Amino acid sequence: MAHDEGTSRRKFLTAAGAAAATASVAGCTGGGGSQETTTTTTATDTTTTEADTQTGADTSEEGDLPDEFPVTITQGQMPTTLDPQNHRSTPTDNVVLHAYEGLLGRDQKGKVVQKLATNYERQEPGRVRFQIREGVTFHNGDQLTPEDVAFSINRIVKKNVSIASPQADQLAGVTGAKVVDGQRAVDVMSEGINPIVFSLFATYCDIMQKSWVQERSKSEIAQQMNGTGPFKLEQYQSGVQVEFSRYEDYWRRPPAITTLTFRAAKESSTRVNQLLEGETDIIVNVPPQSISRVRNAGAARISAVPSTRIIYNAMKYNVEPFSSPKFRRAMNYAVDLQSIIQNVLSGFADPTSQPTLEGFFGYNPQVSVYPHNKSKAEQLVEESGHAGASITLHTPVGRYLKDVEIAQAVANQIDQLSNVSCSVKQREFATLAGELTDGNIDTGPAFYLIGWGNATFDASQTIIPLLTSDGALTSYSNEKVDNLIDQAQSTGDSQKRDNLLRQANQILHDQAPWIYLNRQYSVYGVRNRVEWQARRDERIDAYAMEPAEGQ
Amino acid sequence: MSMGRFLLKRSVQGVFVVWGVVTAVFALRYVTPGNPITFVAPLDASQQLREQIAQELGLNRPFYVQYFDYIFSLVQGDMGYSYIQGVEASQLIFARLPATLELAVAASIVAVVISIPLGVISATRRHEPADYAATSFSLVGISTPNFWLGIMLVLILSVQFGLFPTSRRAVGFLESFGNLVVLSFDPLRFALPLNVTEFFHDIVTWLAHITLPAITLGTYFTALITRLTRSGMLDELGKPYVRSSRAKGLPETLVRYKHALRNTLIPVITVLGLQLGTLIGGAVITEAVFAWPGLGTLLINAINSRDWPLIQGSLIVIGTGFVVINIFVDALYAYINPQVVH
Repeated sequence: MAHDEGTSRRKFLTAAGAAAATASVAGCTGGGGSQETTTTTTATDTTTTEADTQTGADTSEEGDLPDEFPVTITQGQMPTTLDPQNHRSTPTDNVVLHAYEGLLGRDQKGKVVQKLATNYERQEPGRVRFQIREGVTFHNGDQLTPEDVAFSINRIVKKNVSIASPQADQLAGVTGAKVVDGQRAVDVMSEGINPIVFSLFATYCDIMQKSWVQERSKSEIAQQMNGTGPFKLEQYQSGVQVEFSRYEDYWRRPPAITTLTFRAAKESSTRVNQLLEGETDIIVNVPPQSISRVRNAGAARISAVPSTRIIYNAMKYNVEPFSSPKFRRAMNYAVDLQSIIQNVLSGFADPTSQPTLEGFFGYNPQVSVYPHNKSKAEQLVEESGHAGASITLHTPVGRYLKDVEIAQAVANQIDQLSNVSCSVKQREFATLAGELTDGNIDTGPAFYLIGWGNATFDASQTIIPLLTSDGALTSYSNEKVDNLIDQAQSTGDSQKRDNLLRQANQILHDQAPWIYLNRQYSVYGVRNRVEWQARRDERIDAYAMEPAEGQ
Repeated sequence: MSMGRFLLKRSVQGVFVVWGVVTAVFALRYVTPGNPITFVAPLDASQQLREQIAQELGLNRPFYVQYFDYIFSLVQGDMGYSYIQGVEASQLIFARLPATLELAVAASIVAVVISIPLGVISATRRHEPADYAATSFSLVGISTPNFWLGIMLVLILSVQFGLFPTSRRAVGFLESFGNLVVLSFDPLRFALPLNVTEFFHDIVTWLAHITLPAITLGTYFTALITRLTRSGMLDELGKPYVRSSRAKGLPETLVRYKHALRNTLIPVITVLGLQLGTLIGGAVITEAVFAWPGLGTLLINAINSRDWPLIQGSLIVIGTGFVVINIFVDALYAYINPQVVH
C-alpha cells in the first residue's frame, strides 16, 4: 500500500506544481527550487536568505514521477566505506552523497546552493551561523536537529569525537560547532577569518544523526546508512554493489529514480561493454579510444564536461636546472599542449596557463597559455646556463586519464630540443605520492607529473598546498606568492581577495614552477533512456536524472 | 607409516608453513615503499592529522609490538580492520572468497572435462589428425594471454551475439542453493523453502555469468593438462607392464583406461592441485576483465592503497589455501600410489 500512497502523494505534488525539471538538474537549489539564490562560490558573499517555501508551492512544468525507473551507475571502483566522514575518495562520495547531504551544496555548474541550511551568514570574524532547515527527516524517520549538525561538524574537526576523520583538513581552519541557544541554528567557529568557509561547507561535511552514530560501531557505520538524502540504502554488498531506493519523505520532491544501483568495473573496456549491452546506464571515464564506439552504438551517448582536476608537471624550484625560471619557462614553451590534447586526449581536455582553473575564484583571465615555440625554448635554455641538461620526468601509471601517454608526449617534445634531453620514469602512484607528501621537499623527484582535484572552486585550495613555501605537497617557494596568499586568506573583502589571488596566479604563470598541462575532462557514457548532464565536480547526482522523453 | 600419521605429519608441517607465511607477509610491509597514511589522509593533510591517524591505526608502535599483537589477534581469528574501509579485514576477505573459489573450481572443471579426454585421444591416436588437432589446441591455449582471450570472448559472444552477459557476478552459487535449502547455524536451523523455479532461474543466471570467465581462466590450464596427459599416457603405454598386459590378452580398453590412465593421472592430480592454488591467487586479470568480485581484485586494490590488514589477511588466506590443497593432494597421491606413504 505504501506504493499507492506514494503515487497519490506524487499526484498531489504534481497538482500543486512539483519542483521544476530545471531545479532538479540544478541539483540542489534550496527550498525546493522555487527561487534562485544569489550566493556564488566566493566565500565572501556571506549571506543568503530565503523565504521558506514549501515544496508543494513550487511552480513547475514537471509531470508525474515514474512508477518504475531503475538506474544503474558503474564506476571504476566501489565505495571504500558508507561512512561519509571517514573517506576521501570521489567514487565513495558519489555513492554516499545520495543518502547523505551537507549544509550547502553545489549545482551542476559549481554554484553554491542551500541544502540543509536555509540561511548562512558571517556573524563576526571566525564565526558563521547556519540556520537549519525544518521538516527534514533522516531515513529512520527522526527529525534533523541542530545537535546533529553540530555533532557532524565536530566529528570531523575535533579530536576524540568518534573518529580521526581524514576530512579534518578539508574543513581547513574550522575549530568546532555549537548549537545556538533558543534558535534552530548552529554556529561554526574558525581560526582567523576563514574567507572560504562557505565554499568548504558547500563541498564537504555531510550531516549524520548524532544518536545513530553513537549507537553504532565504526564497522557498522561503514556498512549502514541513515542520512537525509533523496535515496535510502536497500542493500550493500561490499565490493559488489550498493542499492538504493527512492526516499518518499525527502524534503524536496522525491527523485524520479525508483531504484539506484552502483557497481564497479575497474577495466574501462568492461564498463564500455556493459553500457553497450544495456547492463548499466551510466559509466565513468570512457577512454578516448572508446568514444566513437559508444557514439556509434546508437543506444548511448557521451556526456563530457571539464572537471576540477588540473594535470601538471612540477619542477622543484631548488634543484638544478629547475632552479632557473628561464629554464622552467623554456620547458613550457617546449611543450605542444594543443597536440597532446588533440592526439592523446582526443580533444577531451582544455589547456591551462596557471594553477587556477577557469571559473574558479581567483582565476586570472589576463594570463594566456604558453604557446609552443621550440626555438624560443632552446634560446631560454641557453640563457639559463643549463644547456645540455638531462632530466627525468616521473609519472604515475594509471592514476589519471592517459597519464603515461601525456608524460611520454611531454618528454618527447622536450627531448626534441637541441640542448635538453628528457626521459620518462614510470612510477607506482603509492610510492610517488609517499615521497611527495612526507613533509620533506628533498625526498621527492625534481620533475614529476601529477594531478590535483579542487572541488572548492577556489584558487587557494590549489595554491596553498602545492605552491606555497609551507604547502604539504609543495614544489615551490616564492615570498611574493606567500604574502599574497596570506593576505587573501585574511581578508573578508571579496573583490580584494579576488585581486590578490589573480596577482598570485600571474606570478605563478610568469615564474613557471610547473609545466601547465591540461584540465582533465570527466567523460561519461550515458544510455539514451536517461536524461542527465555531467557535472564539473566529478559528482554523479542521480537526483538530477529523469527518464528521457519517449523512452 | 600409517596414513593417519602421514597426514598428521603433513598437517604439522603445514602449520609451520602458514606461520612462515604470516611472518613473511608481515615483514613485507617494512620493506615495501609507500606509507598507508598517504591513502588514509588527504594528500595535503597536515603533519598533525597524519600523526593522529597513525596513532589511531597503531602504526606508530614498534615493529615487534605490532607483530606479536598481530599474531595474538590472528590466532583468535581477528585479522584487524581495513585501514581504508574501517571494516574487519576477515569480513571483507571471506565475503570475496566464494566468488574466487567458484571461479577457480569452474575453471578447473572446464580444464579437467576437456583436457583429460583430449590428452588420452591425442596419445592413443598418435600422429593422426585428432592428435594434431589436440596438440595445436594446446599450443594455442598455452600461448594465448588471458586478458586478450577474455576481451575477445566478450566482444564476440556477448557484444556481437548477445549470448552471455559481458561481466559481473549477479548471483552466487550458494545463494542459488538458498532457494532449495536454508542452512543456518545461529540458531541451528535447516529448512526447505523449495523454491524450484527461483532456483533454476538463479542457477541459469549464475551459469551465464561464470561461463566466459571460467573459460578464460581455464584455457591455459586446459592446454597444460592436455599436454601433460598426452605425454604421461604415451610414457605409460610404452612401459613393459602394458606390453605384458596386452600379451596376456587383456582387452585394449582395459589396458588403456584402467591401467595406463590411472598411472598417468598421478602427476596430473598433483598439477591440478597446485594449479587450483594458483587460480585462487592469480585470477586477478580475469577478475578485472569480467568485473568479478573476487579475492584477486580485493588484493590488488589493497596493495595499491597499502591497506596492510587486507593485504596480510588475503595473502594468509591464499597461503593457507595452498597448504590445505597440498595436504589434500598429498593424501590423494598416497591413496592412489600407497608407496608414497612409506
